[in-house]
Amino acid sequence: VTGRAAARALGLAVLLLLTPSWLAIPLAASHDADAPALDFEPPAPGTYTLHRIMAAPDGEVLVLDGRPQRLARFTREGITLLGFIYTTCVDPEGCPRAYQVFDAVREAVAAAPALRDRVRLVTLSFDPARDTPGTMARYAGSRARSGDVPWLFLTTRSARELMPLVEGFGQDIRYTVDASGGTPRRELAHVLKVFLIDRAGYIREIYSSTFLHPRTVLNDIETLMLEDRGR
Amino acid sequence: MRIHGGVWVGVLFAWLIASGLSGVTPATADETCNSPYIAKLIKGQEDYVYVWTLGVDGVGDGSDKLVTIDVNPKSKTYGKVLGSASVGGRGEAHHMGFTDDRRFIWAGGLSEPKIYVFDIATDPAKPKLVKTIGDMADKTGYLGPHTYYALPGRMLVQALSNTRDKGGVTGMALYNNGGEFIAGYPMPTDGGGDGYGYDLAVNPKKNVLLTSSFTGYANYMRPLGDVVKDAEAMKHFGNTMVLWDLKALKPKKVFAVPGAPLEIRWSPKAGDNWAVTAAALTSKIWLIKQGGGGDWQATDVATIGDPAKIPLPVDISITRDGKGLWVNTFMDGTTRYFDLSNPAAPKQTYTKVTGKQVNMISQSWDGKRLYITSSLLANWDKGGADNEQFLRGFRWDGKELTQAFEVDFMQEKLGRAHHMKLGSKSLRSAPSAQ
Repeated sequence: VTGRAAARALGLAVLLLLTPSWLAIPLAASHDADAPALDFEPPAPGTYTLHRIMAAPDGEVLVLDGRPQRLARFTREGITLLGFIYTTCVDPEGCPRAYQVFDAVREAVAAAPALRDRVRLVTLSFDPARDTPGTMARYAGSRARSGDVPWLFLTTRSARELMPLVEGFGQDIRYTVDASGGTPRRELAHVLKVFLIDRAGYIREIYSSTFLHPRTVLNDIETLMLEDRGR
Repeated sequence: MRIHGGVWVGVLFAWLIASGLSGVTPATADETCNSPYIAKLIKGQEDYVYVWTLGVDGVGDGSDKLVTIDVNPKSKTYGKVLGSASVGGRGEAHHMGFTDDRRFIWAGGLSEPKIYVFDIATDPAKPKLVKTIGDMADKTGYLGPHTYYALPGRMLVQALSNTRDKGGVTGMALYNNGGEFIAGYPMPTDGGGDGYGYDLAVNPKKNVLLTSSFTGYANYMRPLGDVVKDAEAMKHFGNTMVLWDLKALKPKKVFAVPGAPLEIRWSPKAGDNWAVTAAALTSKIWLIKQGGGGDWQATDVATIGDPAKIPLPVDISITRDGKGLWVNTFMDGTTRYFDLSNPAAPKQTYTKVTGKQVNMISQSWDGKRLYITSSLLANWDKGGADNEQFLRGFRWDGKELTQAFEVDFMQEKLGRAHHMKLGSKSLRSAPSAQ
């Protein structure tokens, strides 16, 4: 352990001791009640390390008014919670579940002054053919207009622009055909993954449905904030 | 972990249809013993068994290789070798594991710190070696990658040894799916920990990771006969399991589990929160379960065969409902079935000699098909006529195991058949994902 690393660790420890409830992110009771019960007590913020898993990819996306932007504009200089969705998804354990967690996180962040301007949410469609900027705007509704916590709803112009992002995040998508109803229906299936990205643009956690819970996400956000404070 | 889908109406992936993928059915498959983060389980008929095979000097190209066997009874090549992907060297090939998206198999050998990555999605019938990860020893000092356990976007690799003294003190290495090293986690040597490692398995619902313990390079690369005669060497086997906080990847509790506890299987049944393991040297089944007060305990719950004869339980496979456990004992070549209806009191209800030596056992999701291989370690396998090397496929009707096919790995000039994973044509990736 280098002297600098030891000093940094000591600084973080002191910070944790002195300000155990510095952030104390309140979790909106209504959304916590909506979330599936956690069957464990997650480790306290700052008591564990979120390693850099990989750099978040960059590419061109479309914002709600149809203008092209670089995705990196929405994954740097702040803590970002990013999830892929498609607007026709109806599986309650899929996109709607992610939406529910995002709502809870947004409310909690909005109620924590120390976080309000440091955390953003990003919802990115992986069905550009259907999810045009207009469709995404209707899907977002008032969420996109909330001033407390930025929530970006993004899509892409085409599969050609989408796929490098999908690949870069490791968000596997499968094309399947469901013939169980008699008439074959083509489906787009994916494993639910949500990504926590630090201010430098590195993915620090990947949530599957098991760990995608407002409490674990907020703990991780707090851990990143404490890490920033300890630098 | 769920896969979710919806009606696809756009033209986004029209070119996928044009590429001949229309008609593909949702993935079904293995498959009761994979990481819970692997979403694409095969719940119907598997098409392939991939066998991670130890190269043997003078047999074929002599190299370790991933062998693909056709196991679909409706296929014209049922029970035949479809091909193999050689790594161009020998490193005591042992275990392998899928990435969470099931597009790649990570595999490795116990005599080296290398990890081989095979693409099984582009053409599931023809795995292709696409990457070799060679930095584990430099990054961690660990040697002999053993278990490859998928976490979201990552692979947690449990090693067996270390490069410093080639003993059993080791740890886990965490990589991202691209093969970039993230962090190392030493096995605990305090609080009763012996620092040894073998298997790992997680229960995300409880935020726990379990690890077991075997021995180091200095033992597993020696002939078994020499090791058992060496009293000092016999002291260097793992006698512990460790319960970790999965989220934090920090050890929480060390259990005393004497006699080298090996494979760990969590019950796949929803709502079950217990795991079992088999201790090789003491021939015991152990149950790891959370008590009413929330504390986790490890309990010796059953005996496998006659421990005095050291039957050496080497692999276990749990049924999807958590009510049955297959156990292979290497020395007597026997496959045993234990009724796990009460996991605190497993009862052996069936035995069959399935080979002169048997090691790994894998079952289909419905439990109707079992696959057994023969090799334990190059220097621990039997000699002479007892050194059978095979993959045997069996049907199980709930009462009797019936052999359906056999592939003789020596006759086919392949090597020693070790770890297995199941494959399916339906898991072919769309071109977009390549």
